[in-house]
Amino acid sequence: MKSRQHACSLGSLVIVATAFMTQLPANAQDQVVIASTGGAYDRALKEAWFDPFTKDTGIAVTIVSATNAEMRAKAAAMVKSGNVTWDLYLDGEIQSASEAHRQVTEDLTTFCARFSTKADLAANACEAGGALLQSTATLLVYRKDEGAQAAPETWADMWDLGRFPGGRAFPNFDDPWRVLAAALLADGVEKDKLFPLDVDRAFRKLDEIRDDVTLWWKTGDQSVQGFRNNEYDLGQIWLTRAKAMKNDGLPIGWSYKASFLVGDRIALVKGAPHRDNALKLIAFWLDNPAVQAKACDVLSCTPPSTEAISLMSEEARKSMPTTAEIKDSVIIPDAAWINANAAMLLRRWNNWVR
Amino acid sequence: MMNIQASVQRPSRLATITRPRDASRFAPLTSWLLTLPLVATFAIGFLYPLAKLVTLSFTNGAESYIRLGQDALYFGVMTTTVVTAAAVTGFCLVLGYPVAFAMTRLRGKAALITAACVFVPLWTSVLIRSYAWIVLLQRKGIINDVLQDAGLSVHPLKLLYTQSAVVLAMTHILLPFAILPIYATLRTLPPDLARAAANLGAGAVRTFLLITLPLSLPGVFAGAILCFVLALGFYITPALIGGPGSMLMATLIGQQTTVLLDWPFAAALSTVLLSDALLIVFLFRRALSLSKGFHNVH
Repeated sequence: MKSRQHACSLGSLVIVATAFMTQLPANAQDQVVIASTGGAYDRALKEAWFDPFTKDTGIAVTIVSATNAEMRAKAAAMVKSGNVTWDLYLDGEIQSASEAHRQVTEDLTTFCARFSTKADLAANACEAGGALLQSTATLLVYRKDEGAQAAPETWADMWDLGRFPGGRAFPNFDDPWRVLAAALLADGVEKDKLFPLDVDRAFRKLDEIRDDVTLWWKTGDQSVQGFRNNEYDLGQIWLTRAKAMKNDGLPIGWSYKASFLVGDRIALVKGAPHRDNALKLIAFWLDNPAVQAKACDVLSCTPPSTEAISLMSEEARKSMPTTAEIKDSVIIPDAAWINANAAMLLRRWNNWVR
Repeated sequence: MMNIQASVQRPSRLATITRPRDASRFAPLTSWLLTLPLVATFAIGFLYPLAKLVTLSFTNGAESYIRLGQDALYFGVMTTTVVTAAAVTGFCLVLGYPVAFAMTRLRGKAALITAACVFVPLWTSVLIRSYAWIVLLQRKGIINDVLQDAGLSVHPLKLLYTQSAVVLAMTHILLPFAILPIYATLRTLPPDLARAAANLGAGAVRTFLLITLPLSLPGVFAGAILCFVLALGFYITPALIGGPGSMLMATLIGQQTTVLLDWPFAAALSTVLLSDALLIVFLFRRALSLSKGFHNVH
């Protein structure tokens, strides 16, 4: 008697479970799943991009939060196991040009064709590896001092402990090319001849400053807390974080003469369950300068559309690099070289830094 | 874990009479059937993924292992990892034993407060506890403020992003894993033994060293193994609190898994870490049972 009851309840459980399983995709027709890095970044994208998109199309946007590295690993695992639940995820400009990225994401070349005629979009706004979400800089920041004669401007100044005393901060988040490139520029390598990086020379230059590096930051938050706590006076950090500190009233300045510009791309996962909706979401971003302007006003990023830049607030535009600065000093990294040498760079870096 | 049985006395004849449903009364087949769900869970949830991991590490033959052997980095990081884990285990035992001992003696409110002090951190997220250490240790943190206000140091000390900070925070996080097994063992010791020792003229120190401590060693061993194995795999705490010098194996495995997406190599690193852990646990057990002649340490 008892066992029959159990069998009964088990049976109904299976039925309920199956009902749920069959119902889910039906409900999920009008949605799109995007993985992003969470926090303030997600909030800005949701307000400026996802919410207007849902209002316009009726397609709900589900946001999944993860770090960039987790996203990469998880998307790869999904594609390998054939169980894809995400449609889109955000990845760095450099990573999205890699072979590993190509194996996990759909080539967008055909989709991108229609955007090539749009005059307001940057030339690299839509590429095989993904559509450009925004670009932001990693650059030299310094503590503003009332009595100081001059402010540091170049990477050579970062190495000049006599003129600019104080602790230094560099990133240590498993992507070491920025630090090596800064060392080479400080050592007198010309901007045009920076890549391929002379790794040996870079480490020799880094040896000079090593004892004065008081912070090797792994997370953006560490770079902020470190500045607040006087852990360092000159550092290589993200502009988005520097801007946030300035908004909080901290005495921080930065120099575009020592900066690297790197973008974030929106990538389409191979076998995405809501592929059409996902492409609509990408198009909504690229087609709407107002949407881009609203997001980048909050995030202090550079949107892919020049029209969007002109729509941004005066305040936000002031912290963006000017066209002349981009031409003369902002470094755009050689993604192909960095990807081809990623394992070597990380191995050499691990050996040096520990 | 493995010596919970050890602390339980073998059932005497009396126990068999008073507890009719003793495990030994079940037929062997029934016993097997009863353990089947556990065995199946273990096989599917633990052994199968582990076998997959080891297989993955041999994707390109032994290539991953050759690469691993050729670079001194991996041996160096492995050494740092083992030394860190051993130091953390040592501190956990030294700090945890007195707490466990006190817990068996305390009564009423004091017992409750002590238990809360052990359990509440255990229920708090590792991430939050790591951030709490940042608040304490940073340059303008509480510890530096107190030191400077007291005139003990002129400039703020560099406490955060050091290897000592990592050991400190890991000890704090793993302390309950040392306290609880020791407490469990101490509690089962009949108070008669200590009383008998006192009767025979032993002082408190002698009673502790000759009676209580040796009998509690299975708990110490269990706590040590738990702390050590958990410490070997620590990832978040060294990342947040450590400097570039506190690079541990988990950091390298994370790099290979998420940054370079070289999973066969990540699997090889994990396999090496796992075999090292097993080897050390085995040697530790051997050393302990040989030196003390402990037959009840399984």
